[in-house]
Amino acid sequence: MSHAVIASLSGFSLLPSYTVIGLTLGGVYALAATGLVLIYRVSGVLNFAHGAVAMFSTFVAYQISVVAGVPSPIGLLAAVATGAALGFVIEFLTIRPLAGRPPLTKVAVTIAWLLVLQTAAGLIWGSTGYHRPVQLVGSNGFTVPFTNVVVGYDQLTIFLVAVGLSLGTSALLRWTSLGAQMRAVADDPQAARLWGIDVDRVSAASWMIGSAMAAVAGVLITPLLNFDTYSLTVLVIDAFTAALIGRLTNLPLTVVGAILLGLVQYYPKAFFNQAGLSELSTFVLALITLAVVFRPGLAASRGRG
Amino acid sequence: MTVLLQIDGVSKRYGGVQALNDVSFRVERGRIKGLIGPNGAGKTSLFNCVCGVLRVDSGHIRYAGRDLHGLAPHRRARLGIARTFQTLELFRELTVLENLMVPVDAAARRGMLADALRLPRARFEENRAGERAHALLHFLGIAEVAGIPGGDLAIGIQRRVELGRALALRPTLLLLDEPAAGLDSRETAELAGVLSRIRERFGTTMLLVDHDMSLVMRVCDDIAVLDYGRLIAEGPPERIREDPTVVRAYLGESAA
Amino acid sequence: MSGPVSRNRRLGLAAVVAAVALLPALESDFQRGLDSDAVIIALLVLSVVVLTGFVGQISFCQYSFAAMGAFTVGALMDGHGWSFWLALPVGVTVAVLAGVLVGIPALRLSGLLLAVLTVAVALFTDRFLLVTGTWDGFSGGAVPWHPSRPSLLGAPLTGSYAYYLFALAILCVAVLLVWNLRRGRAGRVLRAVRDSELAAATVGLDVTAWKLAAFGLSAGIAGLAGALLAVRIGSVSPGSYDFLHSVQLTALATVMGVSAIAAAPAAGIATVFGPELLSGIAVSSTWFPLLIGTALILQLVLVPEGAVVRTRHDMARLARLVSGRRGRDPAIAEAAR
Repeated sequence: MSHAVIASLSGFSLLPSYTVIGLTLGGVYALAATGLVLIYRVSGVLNFAHGAVAMFSTFVAYQISVVAGVPSPIGLLAAVATGAALGFVIEFLTIRPLAGRPPLTKVAVTIAWLLVLQTAAGLIWGSTGYHRPVQLVGSNGFTVPFTNVVVGYDQLTIFLVAVGLSLGTSALLRWTSLGAQMRAVADDPQAARLWGIDVDRVSAASWMIGSAMAAVAGVLITPLLNFDTYSLTVLVIDAFTAALIGRLTNLPLTVVGAILLGLVQYYPKAFFNQAGLSELSTFVLALITLAVVFRPGLAASRGRG
Repeated sequence: MTVLLQIDGVSKRYGGVQALNDVSFRVERGRIKGLIGPNGAGKTSLFNCVCGVLRVDSGHIRYAGRDLHGLAPHRRARLGIARTFQTLELFRELTVLENLMVPVDAAARRGMLADALRLPRARFEENRAGERAHALLHFLGIAEVAGIPGGDLAIGIQRRVELGRALALRPTLLLLDEPAAGLDSRETAELAGVLSRIRERFGTTMLLVDHDMSLVMRVCDDIAVLDYGRLIAEGPPERIREDPTVVRAYLGESAA
Repeated sequence: MSGPVSRNRRLGLAAVVAAVALLPALESDFQRGLDSDAVIIALLVLSVVVLTGFVGQISFCQYSFAAMGAFTVGALMDGHGWSFWLALPVGVTVAVLAGVLVGIPALRLSGLLLAVLTVAVALFTDRFLLVTGTWDGFSGGAVPWHPSRPSLLGAPLTGSYAYYLFALAILCVAVLLVWNLRRGRAGRVLRAVRDSELAAATVGLDVTAWKLAAFGLSAGIAGLAGALLAVRIGSVSPGSYDFLHSVQLTALATVMGVSAIAAAPAAGIATVFGPELLSGIAVSSTWFPLLIGTALILQLVLVPEGAVVRTRHDMARLARLVSGRRGRDPAIAEAAR
């Protein structure tokens, strides 16, 4: 570490307000990660284009609400529609025909989509420079009673919407018939087919819902970071990290992991003035999670899918 | 007669099942020992413990006087312990010849650089590995499939190739996990002949698991019987055939 | 696979190499610069072929390994006044170490999770490690490193043609070494490990060591490419080694077919001259990644084995048809059933 890293004890006074930001960010990660896990569980595909889908959908909202000036809720709806449509197209055109192929082939397809969406967005909206974010709620806020911590209404909204949607998805899986079908497909696609479940339809539904969640996460997160094509595309690694904490299957644990990630990314910034601390935190957390949560033995490592 | 493999109070528990429960027996050098028992009796678990894929919970496995505890599978293989698999584990994309060359490759001491530069030594060893593999294929009577990928072969031939791959290691101890599974009676009779010839030619000690009693009774010098992870009988074939415990536990089941 | 290479094929290859070496003599400096880039990209794709084609592992951080080579060479030459010939092996060694380090989790993780980890490594490298203020002694900080081109045996490599020939020679040597490895023991062993790790271990293969060696080799080749790129451009900045570059590289290699070494030169030619052709037909060269992505999607859905491999199969089939030879001896075909 160089001398440019400035450590200061005064950082502690920043912790309460950084907690607010960290929670907000964590909420958005929870939303993105829930979508990722939903797609993975039902269709068995780890979607590396998840962030790219979020990015592209968010730029559609940007086009509508920031460029054309249409009220932002309509922009958000357009983003959701775009996300769902992208999810459907990816599943229908490029995942379904690859049934029975190794997992890494499907990963390659999602990587191709990442490249396509990333380049397309760069061509349409420009790949350099930051864009004005879509503001759903005004940025004024309130002071938490008995403290001097200010919480923005936008932050509160983002957190509530994100966590609400994530937990809502868990509820959907648990209590609706579509959810029951999704769980059946996740457990054993062959058996689900025998039970008369339309596996293709359920898989498409998971991609549409999961991608729509990515879209919402994208729109919500833009006020919190530098809004450009790249930073949203790499949102996928934050979603991955949260999903890993939930072992790629457990939704409530994923939400907890996401919020943990948000906090872990923000707290170091209270003490060190250094670019890239979020990425460092994500990397370290991902490594720890992989080391602790996943440890297959020799015989189990021959996943050929 | 010296003891080559000594299983000493070995227990192994996994997946909520006591796969092996205080099992002890020994295999003498140069003999063919049968290991039988109903499905789930712990035979494959025992193999996995001997070749190091599974770690024993308690007990000792001694091989040629040496405790194998903590030794990785590839190190045990280099000590001369080879095996075949009940569920075929051929290198499916490699040709049969290549399948038999891999064990020789594994034992080679040259570095990657020698290969990359194709130094004379690398070429010499490469040729020798090929020759050895060819000789083994002839010995096993499958020389004509040398150039065919392992995954494209019929089950019977795949089992023969796996046997060849194990022999390419020049093993002292050969663990055979249901080598007759999926073979018809003619192929099984052939296999019995091959096993006898292996012992004659290489003096290999063998531990043979199979459900085909005709094979086990014909080639084994003595037999150990496992049931629910426990050793319930041990002795020469004629005695095992008559042992009431064995008949109840094992033969009774297959008769039903 | 391990049979002797036919004389005709050797002559053909020599002719191609000679043509590729001589043609740029007629070109402009700008064109030769592109040629050098093509060679360097071919080297990077070769690193993907080693990792993905040999071990079956997808990586999204090949440019991070390249960055290890590039920034080490940049820092040692520009920052400490080292000679290129001393800095180069150090740079490659650093890349190899990075590769082995990334490879260690690969011993426990499935391919899918390791792919995720490589994304984390790529972002860690380009958004933390190489960012100004983190470790300026390595990244150069606000002012990029400016390593100058070396001379070889008294002949300066500053000219565009000289440098092109130098890079091409390195590529040829690397391809030859990898090819030797592939058709010999290493290729066999790594394919065996990919088929069944369990069986590989029980015939005495140290699966761990072989996998790490492949990771190290792949990263080393990428680091070599990075070092060459550093002196080719004459400046080293983080933007040229980011995650998206790695993604594009992996996509490109997959389109060409990661199991074939020939994918490397093919991909090199495609990346450098593809955008040129696009601008020739009045389409902006920024469309190129879009085309790669689309090509990859189409290829995976329609031709899963890869373009180069498919073409080779088709050619072989054509050759058989033309010569009217029977594919297999009937006796063997029967034994194979």
